Amino acid sequence: MNHSVLKGTGYVLVHVPGMVMHHGTTQTTERSAHPDSDYLKELPKHIRSYEDCLAYPPNQTYIGNLSIEELSDIEEPWFDKKTEHPSRFGPFGEVMPEDEFAVLMQICDAFDLVHLDKEFVQTAKPKLEAHPLITAAMLSLIKEGQEPEVIRRQVEEEHAQPVIVGDKLVGYVKRAHDVDVNLSAHVIFENLVSKASEVLTILHLLKQSGVDPNDVDYVIDCSEEACGDMNQRGGGNFAKAAAEIAGLLNATGSDTRAFCAGPAHAIVEAASLVKAGAFKNVIVAGGGCTAKLGMNGKDHVRKGLPILEDCLGGFAALISENDGVNPEINLEIIGRHTVGTGSSPQAVIESLVTNPLTAAGMKITDVDKYSPEMQNPDITKPAGAGDVPEANYKMIAALGVKLGQLERAELPAFVKNHGLRGFAPTQGHIPSGVPYLGFARESMLAGRTKNAMIIGKGSLFLGRMTNQFDGISFFLQKNTKKEASSGVSASAVITAMPVIGVAIPDSELGEEMVRSAVASAGKNGYKAVLIEGDACLKRMDEMLIAGEIDAAVAAHNPFPVGVATVGRIATPALGREMFLATTTGTSATDRVEAMVRNAIAGIIAAKTCGIEDPTVGIANVEGGRQCERILQTLSENGYSLRFADSARADGGILMRGNDLLQGSADVMVMDTLTGNLMMKVLSAFTTGGGIESVGYGYGPGIGEDYEKRILIVSRASGAAVIANAIEYAAQTVRGDLLTIARCEYAKAKKAGLQKLIDESKQRSPGGPPVAAKAIAPPKETCTEEIHGIEVMELDEAVEALWSEGIYAESGMGCTGPVLMINDARIEQAKAILQKKGYVH
Amino acid sequence: MAILEGKKAIIIGDRDGIPGPAIEACLESAGAEVVFSSTECFV
Amino acid sequence: MDLENQKRVKEIADQFGPENVIVVLGAAEGEAAGLAAETVTAGDPTYAGPLAGVSLGLLVYHICEPEIKEEVDADIYDEQVSMMEMVLDVDNIITEMTAIRDQYTKY
Repeated sequence: MNHSVLKGTGYVLVHVPGMVMHHGTTQTTERSAHPDSDYLKELPKHIRSYEDCLAYPPNQTYIGNLSIEELSDIEEPWFDKKTEHPSRFGPFGEVMPEDEFAVLMQICDAFDLVHLDKEFVQTAKPKLEAHPLITAAMLSLIKEGQEPEVIRRQVEEEHAQPVIVGDKLVGYVKRAHDVDVNLSAHVIFENLVSKASEVLTILHLLKQSGVDPNDVDYVIDCSEEACGDMNQRGGGNFAKAAAEIAGLLNATGSDTRAFCAGPAHAIVEAASLVKAGAFKNVIVAGGGCTAKLGMNGKDHVRKGLPILEDCLGGFAALISENDGVNPEINLEIIGRHTVGTGSSPQAVIESLVTNPLTAAGMKITDVDKYSPEMQNPDITKPAGAGDVPEANYKMIAALGVKLGQLERAELPAFVKNHGLRGFAPTQGHIPSGVPYLGFARESMLAGRTKNAMIIGKGSLFLGRMTNQFDGISFFLQKNTKKEASSGVSASAVITAMPVIGVAIPDSELGEEMVRSAVASAGKNGYKAVLIEGDACLKRMDEMLIAGEIDAAVAAHNPFPVGVATVGRIATPALGREMFLATTTGTSATDRVEAMVRNAIAGIIAAKTCGIEDPTVGIANVEGGRQCERILQTLSENGYSLRFADSARADGGILMRGNDLLQGSADVMVMDTLTGNLMMKVLSAFTTGGGIESVGYGYGPGIGEDYEKRILIVSRASGAAVIANAIEYAAQTVRGDLLTIARCEYAKAKKAGLQKLIDESKQRSPGGPPVAAKAIAPPKETCTEEIHGIEVMELDEAVEALWSEGIYAESGMGCTGPVLMINDARIEQAKAILQKKGYVH
Repeated sequence: MAILEGKKAIIIGDRDGIPGPAIEACLESAGAEVVFSSTECFV
Repeated sequence: MDLENQKRVKEIADQFGPENVIVVLGAAEGEAAGLAAETVTAGDPTYAGPLAGVSLGLLVYHICEPEIKEEVDADIYDEQVSMMEMVLDVDNIITEMTAIRDQYTKY
């Protein structure tokens, strides 16, 4: 079954204390009914600072910095706890402060309705300019601003809505029509907030998923606002309005509304559109809601809590054609609350959970995780709504008991094992099932979770059109395509086949041999293009950046320090496949750190090639023991590794020469120079050393934050090795090397990678370098290379140039370390390096 | 003495507890007359 | 309690006489049930709605309390509510509701 897949997610929070006071309905209602109430007087004392809001553990979870498990380990309540190292940006998105968001609202205003204070723009604009995702096109829309006097008059006399940042009036949103209430300043404000937060979330989704904005075909907005005028009050369309600002030039879209169940409905629609072949890439997105800010504020204030509902929420997901990697949305398992279902909680859970599962021959215990409404209990409990996700898990379990699928005594265990703690803001549609999608995707890609059921529920009766409740659920599962690939038709494989560029300008075996290798890969169904000429390596880089090729096989590439290649070989003794980590490049300048990083790179390469849980062995070379200790601690800390056992009688993780010949480990870890040596020995021994005739070559460069897929072969690589390298390159695309790498590095980091490495350096005899670090001068384009510097001194050499005001970067060429420099500076740099003794 | 029979019943249901219509069905079976039924939503 | 609901409760009590009215709640937990019960007996404790300072003293129960369950058709109760008995903290709800009734209900 060719299911569509969840290719990425985006999650954003915007801290907006000013809007809590002036736009949350609890507060506006109170102000109109009881302008002098104690609540309104008390409220300002309960507003959190941006820093407190950022450090609030559930917020760090929402943007992916703190796992749900880590959050669950923190004792509730959470409002008085802080995350130790909170970060504004996370793997899923960010927590944006109010001042930047005010400017973003102005950017998103297409009708000259938002005006900000001149001085405010001057201080806030540079912040947005420094934002990694705000595009130049968006920045160009920022207006100069108006005088404070004009702003005050608009708010006081012209019905404009105030834009408040840090207690100060910094702008206004004016009405778009004098009479039409649907275009009142209040409605326009609310809608622009929704649009702007939606745009920001889409930008994060684009980055997260790596999809080209031009490849997005359709956007479905699933928020709870309505835009239109008096003749078509809910005319729409937020989706297209947001797509325009986000630069999705080839997309159109529409809005789907179903109260809080909107996102789940929209994802089912998106998955159906993709599966039907109507579109290839569909984004589902929803922005935040001002009305719900401080919704339970009275209870929070009464109980002495901070106003916890001080954030707008944004959510986005990309649904795409099946890539054989990402989790699938299985449309055969959809739960629906129908008109005839009725409203008893039992009937609701039956319709959404047990009916679709029973139809698919499954029991409630066959689903790893359920994601119903994921409201943060810290917010709902003090307001008397209890722990919403927990109540849902209890309902599912209780129904399981009624159906005889579970013993009553097993109820608490079910809730614990199949449930999740809530962490989402009470922004209506935002918490409804979808907050878990980001974590679910990561977990399924890493093989920790096999499936999940996402449940959206909506209170339709609030709209007074029906007494009906609503809900829809869908089923997310680990990609099944890999296992079933033998059954996939040949044409399906070819359409999904990535294009590989081949650039080997100086093969010792001649151009003809390279050409025959490309042809032979083509016969095996792989798409390879030969890049020829003296400048072919430069051309290769351009083609990679332009997306003309998905990956490249090259004879040379200057990888930056931090990146090294993982070779792949069939071992001579048993013909067993083995990954040599690593074979060229430099993972780190410290030997032990490099070996630890090589191990992670090796695991990434093996997983990319379909080995789900590879075994790891460490070659018995200098530094092997220290590397083993660090890897074992990492494994104990949660970066779980499967260690190989030496084939020698005494076993152990350290691998001897015999093990290299036999392939006792899937991933064989060693320092790069040894790896390079072994690669050549193991691939050239059958020819007496002249031609490297077996194996897959030196493999892809892998490193933290390295986003290219470039695989290395040698000038002595024969046709078979080059053809194999093309296959290996195609696997790095189809196996999604970059996503796997991101997941693995994130897991290793979480298990304390950096701390362990730092401790190991402290223990080593030389100790860490004590010299003060030089500051890099402004970045320049570096096109020239300086060779001949000792690898251990490379970073020092770079800093030596920095301290003289010359920008330089370290890198790794095919013959050894290189220092990259601007062509205008090369002579001056060489002279300095010579004087300081780094080159001769 | 019956509590519900013959009474005018007001129902304040809860979306995350027991919703209004479910309570309605119960009370009608006990002979109460439901004069108002509503479901609150805290989230 | 929602302001519109408070308004309706007040109107109905006026129209039919508070002694003829019963309020039945479906709240998800004890504290929320207690607050709603207090609202229709002693008056709105948050002083936000039409029942602020209005002590109607109405008879009020939660649907999960045994007195109500006893009078409801067993099959219908099973179909509509029984599953939630496993989910809600019924004992806590009973404690809260009893306390409010003992203190404020006039009928």
